[in-house]
Amino acid sequence: MAEELSVVGKRLPRPDAAEKVTGAARFVGDIKLPGLLIGKVLRSPHAHAKVLKVETGKAERLPGVKAVITSKDMPRKLFNAAFWNMCLADPEKAGEIQDQFIFDNKVRYIGDAVAAVAAVDEQTAEKALALIRVQYKPLPAAFTPEEAMKPQATRIHDFAEGNLCWPHVPFPFGAGEVEKDFAEADVIVEDTFYCSRQKHAQMELDACIASFDAGGRLTVWSPAQLMYLARRKMANFFDIPEGRIRWITPYTGGGFGGRLAFNAEPICIGLAKKAGQPVKLEYDRHEDFVAHDSRTPHKMDFKLGFKKDGTLSALKIKLLADAGAYLGQSGMTTAVCMAFGLGHYRCPNTAGEMTIVYTNTPPTGGMRGYGNPEAMWALEQLMDVAAEKLGLDPLDIRLRNYKKVGEPSALLLPIQSLALEQCVEAGAERIGWKEKRALTGNGMKRRGVGMATMTHCSGAAPLLLEHGNAALKLNEDGSVNLVVSPTEMGQGILGVLAQIAAEELGVRIEDVRVVLGDTDATRFDIGSHASRTTFVTGNAVLGAARQAKGKLLERAAPMLEASAEDLEVRDRRIYVKGSPDKAISVADVARDAIYNYQQNCGQITGECDWESKVVSPPGQACFAEVEVDTQSGEVQVLRLVLAHDIGRAINPTNVEGQIEGGAMQGFGYALCEDFVVDTRTGETLTDSFTAYRLPSFLDLPEIEGIMIEEPDPVGPYGAKSIGESSLVAVAPAIGNAIYHAVGVRIKDLPITAEKILKGLKQK
Amino acid sequence: MKKEIAEFLVNGRPYDVILEAHKTLLEVLRDRLDLTGTKYACGTGECGCCTVLIEGRPVLSCLTLAVTAKKKKITTIEGLANGGLHPLQKAFIDYGAVQCGFCTPGMILTAKTLLDETPQPTPEEVKFALAGNLCRCTGYVKIIQAVLAAAQAMKRGEK
Amino acid sequence: MARGLKPFEFIEPKSVKEAVSTLSRWGSRARLLAGGVTLVDDMRRRVVTPGCVVSIQNIPGIDCIKGDGKSGLKIGAMASLRAVELSPVVQRDYLPLYEGIHHIHSLQTKYMGTVVGNLCVASPASDIAVPLVALGAEVKVKGVGRTRSMPVEKFLLGVNRIALKRGEMVTELTIPAPAKGTGGAFLRLARTAADVAKLNVAVVMTVSGNVCRDVRIALGAVAPIPIRARKAEAALNGQKLDPEVLSQVAEVASQEARPISDFRSTAEYRTEMIGLLVRRGLETALERARGSSRRKVT
Repeated sequence: MAEELSVVGKRLPRPDAAEKVTGAARFVGDIKLPGLLIGKVLRSPHAHAKVLKVETGKAERLPGVKAVITSKDMPRKLFNAAFWNMCLADPEKAGEIQDQFIFDNKVRYIGDAVAAVAAVDEQTAEKALALIRVQYKPLPAAFTPEEAMKPQATRIHDFAEGNLCWPHVPFPFGAGEVEKDFAEADVIVEDTFYCSRQKHAQMELDACIASFDAGGRLTVWSPAQLMYLARRKMANFFDIPEGRIRWITPYTGGGFGGRLAFNAEPICIGLAKKAGQPVKLEYDRHEDFVAHDSRTPHKMDFKLGFKKDGTLSALKIKLLADAGAYLGQSGMTTAVCMAFGLGHYRCPNTAGEMTIVYTNTPPTGGMRGYGNPEAMWALEQLMDVAAEKLGLDPLDIRLRNYKKVGEPSALLLPIQSLALEQCVEAGAERIGWKEKRALTGNGMKRRGVGMATMTHCSGAAPLLLEHGNAALKLNEDGSVNLVVSPTEMGQGILGVLAQIAAEELGVRIEDVRVVLGDTDATRFDIGSHASRTTFVTGNAVLGAARQAKGKLLERAAPMLEASAEDLEVRDRRIYVKGSPDKAISVADVARDAIYNYQQNCGQITGECDWESKVVSPPGQACFAEVEVDTQSGEVQVLRLVLAHDIGRAINPTNVEGQIEGGAMQGFGYALCEDFVVDTRTGETLTDSFTAYRLPSFLDLPEIEGIMIEEPDPVGPYGAKSIGESSLVAVAPAIGNAIYHAVGVRIKDLPITAEKILKGLKQK
Repeated sequence: MKKEIAEFLVNGRPYDVILEAHKTLLEVLRDRLDLTGTKYACGTGECGCCTVLIEGRPVLSCLTLAVTAKKKKITTIEGLANGGLHPLQKAFIDYGAVQCGFCTPGMILTAKTLLDETPQPTPEEVKFALAGNLCRCTGYVKIIQAVLAAAQAMKRGEK
Repeated sequence: MARGLKPFEFIEPKSVKEAVSTLSRWGSRARLLAGGVTLVDDMRRRVVTPGCVVSIQNIPGIDCIKGDGKSGLKIGAMASLRAVELSPVVQRDYLPLYEGIHHIHSLQTKYMGTVVGNLCVASPASDIAVPLVALGAEVKVKGVGRTRSMPVEKFLLGVNRIALKRGEMVTELTIPAPAKGTGGAFLRLARTAADVAKLNVAVVMTVSGNVCRDVRIALGAVAPIPIRARKAEAALNGQKLDPEVLSQVAEVASQEARPISDFRSTAEYRTEMIGLLVRRGLETALERARGSSRRKVT
């Protein structure tokens, strides 16, 4: 795109920022309704037990209690909490397993829901919970995959023999002949890596409000990331037609994949149904840790075969995942982990096997990166191991094996664009790769640099349904109402879509008012996941704006005594190309379309339904510089440089914000976030921010984001995604840097001083 | 338990609230006074999302008994600027320091305390002052930039 | 789990006398409210459900910070962490205490919380208790019709257990003036800057010439309460302050505790790091005692 853009590419303030800095922005927990009841959930103190009896009489009779629900009040339907199954024609074939009831006759982890109440205030609800008598029959429990797979282990789900949810499933997209190639490989590197249950730890706690009106129509307020899919799921579950449910997602206070599955919604709706009054169910932070999913932890066996010159020729991955008590999103995350692990580099012979095990621990699921950070933790460290064995620079071994445009991506379809080499080059230069790699330290504190790369996706095509929509109208003053349905959870999509619309229509960003988050007002969109909204919804917005622009210029043409093809719109003015002083305003034309007294009305509108049929993967190279205290094992990350292949930065400030924010989540994943379940009791030990450490301002390294802009042929204005990417390569870059500094390789997350010191001693 | 009519002075306005001693200041602000800008996010004093100013000092309203804040000057995010925007609010908007917005009210109020005490802070001083405020979205970088920019704007006398 | 608190009676005494008589009346059903940072959190988590909360926030005069490097330091029960942190006297003459407070990173917590309150929580890894032990601090306790004092080490009995009888409260902390030639240091290791310490160490040493005249070494997070590394102290007292001596003393210190493994760290790591932190603490304390490195407080 050679022409100068006036809105896209500019560092414009987000439209939602003003509300957020003044406290006016409403999240679900801020919403009040007349007659709103407070809901609370009774949770199991046992890791594994039969629920023999639930006596609710006393609770029901407590003044102020309006509803008590147990398994008999909820549909007895099996389901899987994740929404993604709606995106598949045949979810069962893809390995999804429906293994949950709302309130089952069994509890499977400490924190599993048993019953719930709705009362006039929190105090009464708490008293009511204490009056519910549950008779449990404890069963033996297993807290690690190894324990759960033992022959004598008690079955957690009746259908899962050996507690295997996915028993050794081969990855369906392998290629070539892996074993044969290993036999002929010049160099083989293999090792076992472990990744952890990182928590989303979004600041906004889960909340839901459900309200049935007099006619039985349900309105739900929820922070769900995929509102239409959430609605459909609840429609199926409660046997309510979709059209009789209005789903509203106001601002969401952080998603990171935590809101791709049900949290408070089903129970909240059940309570509202029984109470006949609106109910608000809010979690506290303990519940967020215990009853809300996390990244799925994996044991990962990677084996790579190389030719002497560093060409990767065989790659085999075995994944053992801990699903926790219910499968949820763990299947999808494991499959995506496998896909990126096998598909990041060009490799003619690939094979994989996935095993997913149930344990009596909180369910695991998916988090930002969704399997990709997990895979790169192993893969990108092994690439360095291979480089060392082959006497190659870590950059060179990677450059040799990157896929090129047109080759099949990790998600099978051909790569539309990729500027990974430029990312590597730019990042290496910025961090001073050559000089710093050459340094060897002998002091008490030693520095090192390391790097890792990744590719991700801009939407989940072709694996999952990719469908977005946009509609807009021009008001009489030339302003625009843009109606879309992503979830604004901080990534800035509201502003990005406004910028795209404004650019195409020739108006300013402040002229575009974005309407989102209401299934009564918006059209279908999958929502915010898989880094899709700029690419897919953005293209829908572009299409809608183009259509509207066409109508605008058609109507303007006779007013300017010109033909529509000769017209241009810029900064609210329409004029003949080359003659900007003879112009009419967008407002004039828009008004004429509404208040036309010559029987020529036709409000300027645009709409576009867009499906993605391509894979446009963003790429990123992350470089880390660290300093290790060889006496204490402590590592300080001095600097992170992340060079990102963005295609086009619709809003550079936004992209940087995503690079920096993702990098700090990657930092946390690498170094300090550790979700710990006591393997003797099944109790979650890290159930607060006191115990589960998020990085604070004081842990911040120097972070520099570099945006590489090589426009993608399909992305709107050439844009690809950034949403998940920045988390992916940070941990292995840090791991590789530590190895460079002190020759110790950490294989299980998080990297700790204890592990580094142990490694130093073993040398 | 005993109920009293308690007087609160929030954002320059007096409020009479029927108060029980076990209510936290956060509950009073959000549930009784409809000032929902102050957020509940952790309950253990780790995240800073519930930060308000009492007599200009930053405190965690989720750990403050409302009864101990009677008649004291309380500032919430809604009262930071009287119509218009405080330079900090403006800087947060301009520098991309707001993503999901949930930590933002507490963050801005704590930053205000810093600028009141140290009008021209260094980046290190900004980090130390905001260490009790967690942000999961921004990675902190643009928040630091915004606070430093606000300090500059205030030095230039911008309102 | 709840977001709000269970109801309680709220009493605001106007004097220490009134406070202790209220506490005496209510006994174990009462809890004292100073800053509230720990108490309110404990109440929310239902760890404690007092029938009565006795607030000392409005008792006049108990938030004082009095004294200097010559006369000793007195810190009142309501003196906030922030006020003590900012005190020039503390920064100059009681540096390990400053450093301990400085490591509590939340500004809000420091404005709300009190030094005495933090001590009374009796957390094994308290960044306040460990320097206070090394500084030889004492607590002054008032009850109905009685007053008593005791060293901080005697005051702390175990995890969340302190030596207060029914109807008693701590009214102040006193720290003896440092002798000439004294230097101190506080160090800690933690997963992140703001995390509870895996291990913390405070050293206060008095030096004359090249000889150690007196030393106190306090270790935190390696026992139910902060402990003194007495064998190490004995090994250093009266000795020449050569690097090898310091290393040996540090080694002795590392044998004096049996730390546990938990989700923050391992027993092996903590044990080994005692030696490292004590050695580094001794080195820094020595430098400061000699006045050769006046620590710049930012």
